[in-house]
Amino acid sequence: MTATEAARERRTGVGDVLLDVRDLRTHFEVMDGTVKAVDGVSFSLRQGGRLALVGESGCGKSVTALSIMRLIEVPPGKFAGGEILFEGRNLLKLNDREIRKVRGGEIAMIFQEPMTSLNPVMTVGDQISEAVLLHQPVNRKGAQEVALQSLVDVGVPDPKRRLKQYPFELSGGMRQRIMIAMALSCNPKLIIADEPTTALDVTIQRQILELIKNVQERTGTALLLITHDLGVVAETVDEVAVMYAGRVVETGTVEEVLLSPRHPYTRGLLESIPSQGKKGQRLSAIKGVVPNPFRMPKGCKFEPRCPYAWQAGADEEPPLFDLGPDRMSRCWLYDPRYADHLAEYEGRAPKKSAEVAS
Amino acid sequence: MIRFIIRRLIGTIPTLFVVSLLIYSILQLAPGGPEQRFEQNPKITPAAIAAFKHRWGLDQPIPVQYCRWVGICNPDGEGLGVFISNSRLPNFLPGFLGGGDNGVLHGDLGYSSNTGSSVASLIGQRVLPTAILAGIALIVWVSLALLTGILAAVKPYGKLDTVITIFNYVGFSFPTFWLGLMLIVLFAANLRVLPAGGMWDARTVPIFGSPEYWKFFGGHPVNALVDLGRHLILPVITLVFVSVAGDSRFVRAAMIDSLHQDFVRTARAKGLAERKVVFRHAFRNALLPVLTNVALELPFLFGGAIATETIFSWPGMGLAYIQAVRTFDYPVLMGILIITALVVVLANLLADILYAVVDPRISYG
Ligand SMILES: Nc1ncnc2c1ncn2[C@@H]1O[C@H](COP(=O)(O)OP(=O)(O)O)[C@@H](O)[C@H]1O
Ligand SMILES: [Mg+2]
Repeated sequence: MTATEAARERRTGVGDVLLDVRDLRTHFEVMDGTVKAVDGVSFSLRQGGRLALVGESGCGKSVTALSIMRLIEVPPGKFAGGEILFEGRNLLKLNDREIRKVRGGEIAMIFQEPMTSLNPVMTVGDQISEAVLLHQPVNRKGAQEVALQSLVDVGVPDPKRRLKQYPFELSGGMRQRIMIAMALSCNPKLIIADEPTTALDVTIQRQILELIKNVQERTGTALLLITHDLGVVAETVDEVAVMYAGRVVETGTVEEVLLSPRHPYTRGLLESIPSQGKKGQRLSAIKGVVPNPFRMPKGCKFEPRCPYAWQAGADEEPPLFDLGPDRMSRCWLYDPRYADHLAEYEGRAPKKSAEVAS
Repeated sequence: MIRFIIRRLIGTIPTLFVVSLLIYSILQLAPGGPEQRFEQNPKITPAAIAAFKHRWGLDQPIPVQYCRWVGICNPDGEGLGVFISNSRLPNFLPGFLGGGDNGVLHGDLGYSSNTGSSVASLIGQRVLPTAILAGIALIVWVSLALLTGILAAVKPYGKLDTVITIFNYVGFSFPTFWLGLMLIVLFAANLRVLPAGGMWDARTVPIFGSPEYWKFFGGHPVNALVDLGRHLILPVITLVFVSVAGDSRFVRAAMIDSLHQDFVRTARAKGLAERKVVFRHAFRNALLPVLTNVALELPFLFGGAIATETIFSWPGMGLAYIQAVRTFDYPVLMGILIITALVVVLANLLADILYAVVDPRISYG
């Protein structure tokens, strides 16, 4: 074990690396050209660890998740580079049979749209036990029992009756519970939750998030939570990877990223969150809009919107600078050549950003 | 469910009434009438024609003719008395309550103005041949449409989809009569392997539907079936070839739609094999629109695939219809059309019921 790994382990208290996404590039060939939806995503997650993938809508979070599940339709999709190591195996290299074993069995996914993610003409029980039958050595009856138990585990009231119900008989929150139960039913090593609460009522959002957190803690499965809401990050996960325009631009622990963001984009995101401490203050939104996928800036993708940019038009894209164990930033500020700019960036740090994390 | 069906059946009555009024009016708008067929015949005098028209009630005002056909008016009545039955009660009442015995209301579809035989028995004879031809063609073409539609949808714009699409467009653009005639030329006239038309070989088999036929069928079932099958091949191919395209495209569209639904992605995320994703999840949902589409196609088959039956002299409803049109046989036309309308309505009802069977979201309380 290297010194950095030892440091990390102390900090998060979890095991070996489970998922290691390295410079993933997932592109789509469309009529007008190539959409580089994911073009440089790197992060890693340990066994039992909890990581949030954060970024504005359209930055490639879902494509990243679907790439891990190999649910990207090829074509038009294409894995143009990088690797996804899951327990050391590159998922991008698995054949159909092998990846089907991983899907649902080792990595389960919860989707954003509970209203449409369940089959309308199949009962809840059949849909859960279908997954169980695939991945566990049980017969039909046994699968129904597992399904029932997983409904109990996610706190569905009257679980026996639910098994026989159809999705249309259930509310959005209940359907999302069913999705979580389905994900849990095969004891996966990793659960990917893609904006699991975005489509739900605000009151239900909190419950579902609590539930995901609880089952994660109880079962010890790793969690990859995808969200565009930095607010939910602090209370749910230990680590964060921030995405912008198909790239990971910053990674670190929750405290590190929320309290001392090392990328101007992350700082911008934090400044645009309303909070108690900022009452009466103007919220500062990040100026400008996300770049058009067909007209990406050549160098740093955030440069046109960056309040700290100084070398407009530079053609070279910044690499992910290593700032410590699993602490990275894709910003020229961390190139030793630009130490004076870094000093200025740190001098302008808004004091209030600390409040978000509290 | 039962209440829903009863409610819908009662609802068909006004529909059929309006439909009958419409088809009656349209028939009257067309020039000519049942007497037309005597006009070229120098042996028949104008007086004889007038007598023919009187006998068939064709000299009555059109509303009275219609009401006689429906059974509201008594053909024996005069003036306002037309509404009164021979038992001196309103004519529309059922016979056992003292009403009349004529008209659709009393189960009487009238008599062919051409042959004088009962319309009901004529239709009765024609239903089975049409049902045999249409039923077999329907099974073949729906199976083919499902197969090709699903295969095309699994990889849209792939090689297989392109081939299927080309076949579909060719089939779609083939006129039925041309295809039928070409098949006759090839297989009946040139190769002499299949009969050119008809439903049975008159040299060896009795008339279809007659008691002798069923006796023959009982005695030599294999011979009878082989003979029927040989006569079925060309008309079935014709019907299937021109009909499969539309449904194949329909299935393809429904499947592509279904394959893009979120729950299909969920099914894949479980680790399900693609074949099961396609059939257990996507297809079961695509089945809903496909079922409706097929149920609504049934009446066209019942009305007889008119062109196909005509080309192959298949003694079904379609051929009867064409013969009735040629001879201005109003009673037969009305009979066939009103029964076809009834089948349309029932097919719609069937579609609704199937919907509720396949889709748990739909229930008819
Ligand atoms: N099948 C596809 N074909 C073309 N472009 C796609 C496809 N799927 C996603 N994209 C593009 O990839 C980008 C990232 O999408 P997504 O990962 O869904 O964003 P989000 O971060 O909101 O989840 C978007 O610009 C989207 O248009
Ligand atoms: Mg998304």
